[in-house]
Amino acid sequence: MRSTFNWGHGLRLLAIVSLLAAAAFPIYWMLVTSLTPSADLFADTPHMLPDFSRIEVFEEVFREIPVATWLANSAIVATGTMVLSIALAILPAYTLSRFRFRGKGALGFTLFVTQMLPEAMLVVPLYAIFGQLALLDTLTGLILANTAFTVPVITWILKGAIDGVPIDVEEAARIDGCSRIDIVLSVVIPLVAPTLAAAGVIAFFHGWNEYVFAQTLVSSQSLQTASVGLAGFVGELSTPVHSVMAVGLIYTLPAVALYLVAQRYVVAGMTAGSVKG
Amino acid sequence: MAAITLKNVTKTWGHVSAVSDINLDVPDGEFLVLLGPSGCGKSTLLRMLAGLETVSNGEIHLDDRRVDGLPPSARDMAFVFQSYALYPHMTVRRNITFPLIMRRHRWWFHIPIVGHLAKRAIERSPEVKDLVDRTAKVLALTEMLDRHPRTLSGGQRQRVALGRAMVRQPEVFLMDEPLSNLDAKLRTSMRAEITKLHREVGGTFVYVTHDQVEAMTMGTMIALMRKGVVQQFGRPRDIYTNPANTYVARFIGTPPMNLIKARIEEGQLKVGEAAFALPAHLSGISDEGRAEVLLGLRPESLTISPVGGAGTLAGEVGLVEHIGAESLVSVKLAHAETAHEEEEQEQSGVMATTPGYSELKVGDRIAVGVNLSDAVFFSTRTGERLTAKVPQLETVR
Repeated sequence: MRSTFNWGHGLRLLAIVSLLAAAAFPIYWMLVTSLTPSADLFADTPHMLPDFSRIEVFEEVFREIPVATWLANSAIVATGTMVLSIALAILPAYTLSRFRFRGKGALGFTLFVTQMLPEAMLVVPLYAIFGQLALLDTLTGLILANTAFTVPVITWILKGAIDGVPIDVEEAARIDGCSRIDIVLSVVIPLVAPTLAAAGVIAFFHGWNEYVFAQTLVSSQSLQTASVGLAGFVGELSTPVHSVMAVGLIYTLPAVALYLVAQRYVVAGMTAGSVKG
Repeated sequence: MAAITLKNVTKTWGHVSAVSDINLDVPDGEFLVLLGPSGCGKSTLLRMLAGLETVSNGEIHLDDRRVDGLPPSARDMAFVFQSYALYPHMTVRRNITFPLIMRRHRWWFHIPIVGHLAKRAIERSPEVKDLVDRTAKVLALTEMLDRHPRTLSGGQRQRVALGRAMVRQPEVFLMDEPLSNLDAKLRTSMRAEITKLHREVGGTFVYVTHDQVEAMTMGTMIALMRKGVVQQFGRPRDIYTNPANTYVARFIGTPPMNLIKARIEEGQLKVGEAAFALPAHLSGISDEGRAEVLLGLRPESLTISPVGGAGTLAGEVGLVEHIGAESLVSVKLAHAETAHEEEEQEQSGVMATTPGYSELKVGDRIAVGVNLSDAVFFSTRTGERLTAKVPQLETVR
């Protein structure tokens, strides 16, 4: 009997599994480390399998460390950044895509330039400005600072997606009685929804992971985000590695969950069937 | 229903003129076809009618109402796009209902959930539902109302686009090459459907196409355009029998009108060595005293016989095309020249149609008989028609 094994298919599968393993291994290793007793962490033969008998370590970190507050603060900052970034980026993106005006090229270029400035360079002037505006040590200030960084890139991403919406569909909407804002809200946004979901994920992760502003602009313990809280574990004399890994794992999971939800919407072909392809 | 009047309508892009000084009077209920080659300005003119392009100069009136300053939605015109332009995220039912929803639209319809419920309430209201259901039935879309456009074929999508236009019950239907994306067979059936739609729904239709067969079969009036200028505006039959100039003569008709160089001498029409008695409708016509004219003859006015005689032109068969009920024969005339500017010299023979399957072979020497009863004269200088045979539009209506 002839073998039906497809070598090309098998190699592709192997490559995909290897990539997945490389991406997932750090998360797995965080789980293993968090469940390993401190004494065994530096043993010659590391534990390769998680020891679930020590699962109470997760309960312990919630009890002893304000992880819930950190996560809540991170969620507020990330969600605020996501919502504000998209709300502020959609109209500039539509304008850059659909209108012709003097200085359009320069405006687009300037948006790009903002991406070249590192956060660390801007933190001092931002601190001064936020001090004047009473935005220091508030989550609102943190959301605004993060949004300022995400809006340019999201504007460009959305502009690219709006470029792909057939102009005929917008004209049909104009004939049917839509104003410009109706067109954006009723026709353009639903058609760029997949890109909007992707842009939302980018903005959320930026807000969730951000460290420099969160460290500098916020000083109250109760307003600390998880990125800052996690970094605070690294002590001068000792670092409770298994606790750091447990909190790290908890910190990673909501972001992964959001991505899994959002990726369902990031599907191609939303405009299929609109116009003759 | 409404009459459309265009007065000196002009569209310029910088220094480029897309549409120049167009004046048209389209009576209520007519099916006007804007015909012309690519880039002639016909789509631009249609878009100006719709309000999708601004008018650089001139006026557009719908009955007594001036509309060129109004936004598209205030003109009471529906537009069917070449690309269908359906809303891909909406079902067929919502696509068709959308113009009716927009008529009752309020700003708070944009609020999620609340807006969705409000739109659904309009969609389900008895008068809207009845209208949409009736429209879907006319267009055979009833089974597809809950599907999305991406699941439909090209013809079905175009019917949805027609449904979206019909449901508004507009005064004017504007259509921009709506059939050009369909295959030949579907195009023929959709052609019949649109003609039927015009008959049943009424309203004034303006239809843009570059296909003269569509123009001749669907239009009750044709405006033939070239380089932004209307070359001739009239009934299809008038345009076919009495083209205003050599461009119209060569654009309309498959194969187009033959243009043969001729002279008028001593009351006779001389083509090469042959002389013909001038028929009554051509006598007394000349191009400001010049003897040279272009003789315009439709292929059906030429007959082919194996032996020559008085009143025939000698020639040689250049090509024979069999198209079923008749054959098209291209003949290179021995002593006469044609004036088909747009073609290469070697193809400049005259075209004749013969009934049935012609047994002629390339190279056969034949004689071409000429029936001058439908002939027209054109100026050799300007290309304009020299006869004054066209009845005025008012008299044909």
